[in-house]
Amino acid sequence: MFESLQHLANGFGIAGTIHNLFYCLIGCIVGTLIGVLPGIGPIAGIALLIPATFSLNATSAIIMLAGIYYGAMYGGSTTSILLNVPGETASVITCIDGYQMAQKGRAGPALAIVSIGSFIAGTIGIFGLVFLAPPLAEAALAFGPPEYFSLMVFGFIVLSNVTGKSLIKSLMMAIVGLIIGTIGLDPVTGNERFTFGSISLLSGIEFVAVAIGLFGIGEVLTNVNQPSELLDQGVIMPRLRELYPSLQDLKKSIGAILRGTGLGFGVGLVPGPAPVIATYSSYMIERKISKHPEEFGKGAIEGVAGPESANNSACQSAFIPLFVLGIPFGPVTAIILGALLIHGVNPGPMMIGQHPELFWGVIASMYIGNFILLILNLPLVPLFANILRIPKRILLPLVILFCITGQYTVNNSVFDIWMMLIFGVMGFLMRKWAYEGAPLLLALVLGPKLEVAFRQSLMISHGNFGIFVDRPVSMAFLLATVIFLLLPVFKIIVKSLKKGGT
Amino acid sequence: MLRKVIVGLLVSLVFLIGVPLQAAEFPTKEVQVIIPWAPGGATDLIFRALAATTGKYLGKAVVIINRPGAGGAVGYTEGMRAAPDGYTLTSAVTPLTILPHQVTTAFTYKNFDAVINVVSDPSMFLVRSDSQWKTLKEFVDYAKKNPGMITVGNSGAGGGVHLVALAFEKAAGVKFNHIPFSGGGPSVTALLGGHIHAVSVSPPEGIEHVKSGRLKIMALFAEKRFELFPDVPTVREQGINFVMGMWRGLIAPKGTPPDVIKKLHDAFKQGMDDPVFRKNARDMSVNLHYLGPEAFEKLMAHDHEFFGQLVKEIKK
Repeated sequence: MFESLQHLANGFGIAGTIHNLFYCLIGCIVGTLIGVLPGIGPIAGIALLIPATFSLNATSAIIMLAGIYYGAMYGGSTTSILLNVPGETASVITCIDGYQMAQKGRAGPALAIVSIGSFIAGTIGIFGLVFLAPPLAEAALAFGPPEYFSLMVFGFIVLSNVTGKSLIKSLMMAIVGLIIGTIGLDPVTGNERFTFGSISLLSGIEFVAVAIGLFGIGEVLTNVNQPSELLDQGVIMPRLRELYPSLQDLKKSIGAILRGTGLGFGVGLVPGPAPVIATYSSYMIERKISKHPEEFGKGAIEGVAGPESANNSACQSAFIPLFVLGIPFGPVTAIILGALLIHGVNPGPMMIGQHPELFWGVIASMYIGNFILLILNLPLVPLFANILRIPKRILLPLVILFCITGQYTVNNSVFDIWMMLIFGVMGFLMRKWAYEGAPLLLALVLGPKLEVAFRQSLMISHGNFGIFVDRPVSMAFLLATVIFLLLPVFKIIVKSLKKGGT
Repeated sequence: MLRKVIVGLLVSLVFLIGVPLQAAEFPTKEVQVIIPWAPGGATDLIFRALAATTGKYLGKAVVIINRPGAGGAVGYTEGMRAAPDGYTLTSAVTPLTILPHQVTTAFTYKNFDAVINVVSDPSMFLVRSDSQWKTLKEFVDYAKKNPGMITVGNSGAGGGVHLVALAFEKAAGVKFNHIPFSGGGPSVTALLGGHIHAVSVSPPEGIEHVKSGRLKIMALFAEKRFELFPDVPTVREQGINFVMGMWRGLIAPKGTPPDVIKKLHDAFKQGMDDPVFRKNARDMSVNLHYLGPEAFEKLMAHDHEFFGQLVKEIKK
């Protein structure tokens, strides 16, 4: 413990040089920009900037690239809140209450609480990284295909009704998501499924296209369907003193932020779609334990604060398997691994010992970077919040333009734009008939991974389903799923027993 | 004010994605290399390192794009359909000559022009250091007595290391249980966690873990021993006549102008000879093996025939 602190102090020495502070700042600014723009995400952003780090030393390069990563996490929710356009998996959930807050003239507090929550989560996450990294990385290895499968089943059952409206409708949407997720090449045998001979469909349907379509385009179409007088109005004007969260907002949020942080940190260690599971479960927990669950979906600040914090601390803990084992669990850390390699650093179990200046320098820079981002983002809040002063008649076409350019930057694919527009129409119809987009997106992310883990497990066990219950971690998740499903039944029984007694 | 904000955002967007300019001199924009596997695998690591050193000789950055899926079919199909202007290359790895024999693919190596071969690596099986099998003999004997019980991970069904494992089965007269993962990174992770018994890989995958002592090389399918691990004997030394490896090079869509291919070849050759890349390659223990366009084309043609035969025999 003491040794770690000493190393960390050295790290601050390295990260605190003018040179490295400068690259940290650049990383944070670029990351924020990338986060704000829908479509282009941290993966593309980092990949594009790797060549710019050729002339730097390894530590400065990774400080800058890591800055882009967590910077993008800060900025990622801006378009979710303002325009209902989620730019990446992590900010889907923020659309639900964030956008409602903005519609009620509370875009400022929503944007500000994202920064504050991200800062707190980032800070705590870094301490976790310093003190818990080695044992946690080992724990993450305990997740093999069967554990992974059971975790997904758990996530799927528990999280599909995340908004708590209609269970049947949520499950219907989840199944639609599962079906969409099977399009493309079979991950185990390589056979084509539901591609109808289209090459563009071989790699499946792009997540961002579905997300932007269902939420962003769907929202625009819904607005267009309203009486035209409404289109001339802007959103309710925020007053200056309402640009930042009130003391009451902060009080409401702090619990959500801390819970989200812990949750995100744990989930971030598990390979796979950590941001989705972290944000969905944080939202779910906040809604369940809230004293006024009816506010969720109508602009509850906890529904923004919790998931955004979870997302940020998941982003910190994702560095643990990378630094300790040299194994990237997600696409962003994989790109950073590539960057390490380019700079002559071999990521692996001996990296911390061989390059302590890099490891501790980068960790310290993350702490500094979190400060920079807070200072950078809070003054931007009024600027962004004012975008909503534009009358809808002008704003909505701009949103469409924004969505199309954003979508195009993901894969430079016109096909994806068509997909996005098709899902936009679907999003409009879903809204009209009160179906939720969130369960569909959850299933779209989890479904393919669930399928692969299921088939791998059964291949390992020679077709024996016992593999899912023989292994303790897997068993625990399945048991938790069963308990979750039976809980309402128990509640009913207990209630009726009580009634019967009196 | 607001217009400024939006214009500013759009301008920065344009900067981020880069403006494709029309100009006579190649290259005028960054060159993309499609990797048909997930980030963190061998092909990905090698070409990321090469992209880094080649950029300065080419004058434009070389950008790596991962298009994983279906043992490489997704990436190759996309690479084949790219414009033959030299701006989209694909990393050619042994499976390019295997896949078309196994599944109906839109491509074979004939749909591409060879640019350069960079690496030839022997394949190997890794196990955990605390594995119940200490020697290759114990491993093979167990597999003979318990057919299909040893789980061997690979980087994707029908992929190169999967076929290597299948061919080794035939040579050693045993049967394994093959588990596909989406790339070499995930399969090594599953081995580290003890979820499978062994993994079929080729360097640099898993090498760092062999160095740190968590994994060991159970079977090395090379002509000669590794410089880095001189104590590990090849399987041929131990009586199983089996040598197989993977090559990794770069290809362009068919019909790319010869002068563009030459420019690309020269730049990547210089990138290969760069001391930084040489050091990276040594650290990853990959075996550099330069071949020019004609020789690489020949190698692909030879392996296309060879694997065609092998797949036919295995399918029988």
